Amino acid sequence: MGQHLEDIVKITSRKAALGGFASLGVVTLLAGCGSAPTDDSTKSAASDFLPCMVSDAGGFDDRSFNQLSFEGMKAAAKELGVETKEAESSVETDFPSNLTSLVDADCDLITSVGYNLSAATVESATANPEVHYAIVDDLADNNFDGTTDADNIKPIIFDTVGAAFLAGYAAADTTKTGIVGTFGGMSIPSVTIFMDGFQQGVNYYNTEKGAEVKVLGWDYTTQEGSFTGGFEANEKAKSLAQGLLDQDVDVIMPVGGPIYQSAAEAIIDSKKDIALIGVDADLFVSDPTYKDMYLTSVLKGLSKGVEETVLSAEKGNFSTDPYVGTLENDGVGIAPFHNWEDKVSKTLQAELDDVKAGLIDGSITATSVSSPKQ
Amino acid sequence: MSTETVLRPGWKVPIILGVFSLASLLLFLLSGRQGISVFRLSSSGEAVQLPALELPVMASGIVISVLLIGLAGFSAYRVTRAQRTPLYVIVIFGVLFMVGLLVWAFVDATLPVTGLLTGTVALSAPIIYGALGGVISERVGVVNIAIEGQLLAGAFTSAVVASVTRNPFLGLGAAMIAGMLVSFVLAAFSIKYLVDQVIVGVVLNVLVLGLTSFFFSQVLSEDKQLLNSPPRFDKLPIPFLSDIPVIGPVLFNQTVIIYIMYVAVALVYYGLFHTKWGLRVRAVGEHPTAADTVGIAVNRTRFWNVSLAGAVAGLGGAFFTLGSVGSFQKEMTAGLGFIALAAVIFGRWDPIRATLAALLFGFATNLQNVLGIIGSPIPSEFMLMLPYIVTIIAVAGLVGQVRGPAAAGKPYVKA
Repeated sequence: MGQHLEDIVKITSRKAALGGFASLGVVTLLAGCGSAPTDDSTKSAASDFLPCMVSDAGGFDDRSFNQLSFEGMKAAAKELGVETKEAESSVETDFPSNLTSLVDADCDLITSVGYNLSAATVESATANPEVHYAIVDDLADNNFDGTTDADNIKPIIFDTVGAAFLAGYAAADTTKTGIVGTFGGMSIPSVTIFMDGFQQGVNYYNTEKGAEVKVLGWDYTTQEGSFTGGFEANEKAKSLAQGLLDQDVDVIMPVGGPIYQSAAEAIIDSKKDIALIGVDADLFVSDPTYKDMYLTSVLKGLSKGVEETVLSAEKGNFSTDPYVGTLENDGVGIAPFHNWEDKVSKTLQAELDDVKAGLIDGSITATSVSSPKQ
Repeated sequence: MSTETVLRPGWKVPIILGVFSLASLLLFLLSGRQGISVFRLSSSGEAVQLPALELPVMASGIVISVLLIGLAGFSAYRVTRAQRTPLYVIVIFGVLFMVGLLVWAFVDATLPVTGLLTGTVALSAPIIYGALGGVISERVGVVNIAIEGQLLAGAFTSAVVASVTRNPFLGLGAAMIAGMLVSFVLAAFSIKYLVDQVIVGVVLNVLVLGLTSFFFSQVLSEDKQLLNSPPRFDKLPIPFLSDIPVIGPVLFNQTVIIYIMYVAVALVYYGLFHTKWGLRVRAVGEHPTAADTVGIAVNRTRFWNVSLAGAVAGLGGAFFTLGSVGSFQKEMTAGLGFIALAAVIFGRWDPIRATLAALLFGFATNLQNVLGIIGSPIPSEFMLMLPYIVTIIAVAGLVGQVRGPAAAGKPYVKA
């Protein structure tokens, strides 16, 4: 009998412990993953306009497009003196619930960050026609009929092909080995558009200067190239960069969130003077750890695009016409050379200005199948 | 050492080898690729410079295919004599097939052989550590699904500790402790509270993932300079050994973590099969009741060895940060802990074989990198599957039925 009792007590305590453990797990999951919308009060609310944002799996601290978009919304909110709400996603299954919780929080404009949120945003927008949506880096056109799938979504998109073209030109002018390289996180349009532009910039340089600079890691015609299969800065990305260096590449453009860090570590290991080209933000400013490596960065004015969208929505000027960042409206561009100023050729900046003018007036063309169609 | 039961060898192995050798022959004959493949054996800056191998594609392809068919024939001959195909035949076959594939893929291009192999070691390192942790834990009778969590905990803790103290060796120690702490939970629940070991392992993986992602977003990103910029281990070339062509730069110009890994593989192998400790571990994992009868404290042995397994896997976690890219990233282990688990089974719970399995995976991963760079006609999405396909073929095709430690997964309750 005593033995039995002891068993029962053991089993009960085991169950209790397991239950406690399980709820601990749930709490952690809640905290880490689909976080509930958080209030971030700025100054006293001058207007009751409420801009909101959902991140993709990278989170708002990715030092890349989520963070830049977030900063854009913050800047607009500061100017308007309004509050914001945001929900961070850590896996794809968070998207619908994060969108729903922002709708429930009476948001006026919900900005989804990234291509991966496209389907979830369209679904949420269709279900809530009275709420305005904006989506970064995507046309929200999942049935490919050429128009946005819901008539309350404003796409914020960037034609980065021209800016990447300039980076390709600069890379071709800077390389000493005659081989430049690129690799991406995943083979998705917002990544490959950079690679398309990069390669065309190199090709343009070759025809103009009679040079024979090769591009490794991407083939514009077949749309095939090197990808790490994800956006983690891990050994996979590092060994891919190492593979490029083994082929005598001396200018690298890694495209996709934090994977440039892996490339930078591979460059440190190689002990060679290799140039790194950043994307999205000016890495010299956003991550100075590797500041001596950055030749330049292909800038994507995410922050500006989001800020303008929020500001015009607050004034009641919300429209579903896409905001398209181009070289012409300075929505995209390339960063200064910073520490590479002394190492690039003296005439490069002037040449780039000419190429940029040519791209804007149409005398030079940079095209990509991934370019946003307007 | 051999614990496998002797089975009459079937025709599976010669058939698989035959199919692959015919595939190789057809590849060379039908694709009609002509030209020269250059295999670069030395990179600039090495002491001994070997000339690059220039292989004419068609001729090498035919020679290799004939050799492959010969090996398949040898395997078939062994089966008719009711003998098993020796492992070395399969290994030679695999290496030859790979060389053939590379010759074919790198037509009119240069393959940096040392780069390919150095990357292989680096990509395999965390899998090897994870697999060693898995082998120890399963040999003692506790299924370790939590390798992924142990790796991730090690990566996180080592980054933070090394960053704050500016000493990578302290980071290494902290990684071991972090791996051990994860193991403590696994051990406590599976040994003391008799919870299903697979479930505890899975939940632990999710728990560690959630915790590290949470702290990464909320704490580490607040002050990256202080908390998440650890010093990396420098490469430490071993005098003389590192000057050997090809092998030197691949094996002996590495970081401390890789050298510890060599020692760890040897120690675990020697320990498991040639010491009193190993005998006890295996006894507890195979037949705990018998072990108990001769006076081995089953649950205590299990507890401490599962903890040891966590410490070893934690070391592997440190490779992600201190040995590879420095700072910690969310979810940076990206499922390699599960590949380590596959390596344990593929390696039949043997540290050496598990290490070879991990190296195979690392090789396939880096091969895909190298092929992608020179531009392969295969879509990149399929190329990304390559390491996993190789693992599946290896596990399903060549290993077949394996038997793990008999008492793995079963808690021991004293009658």
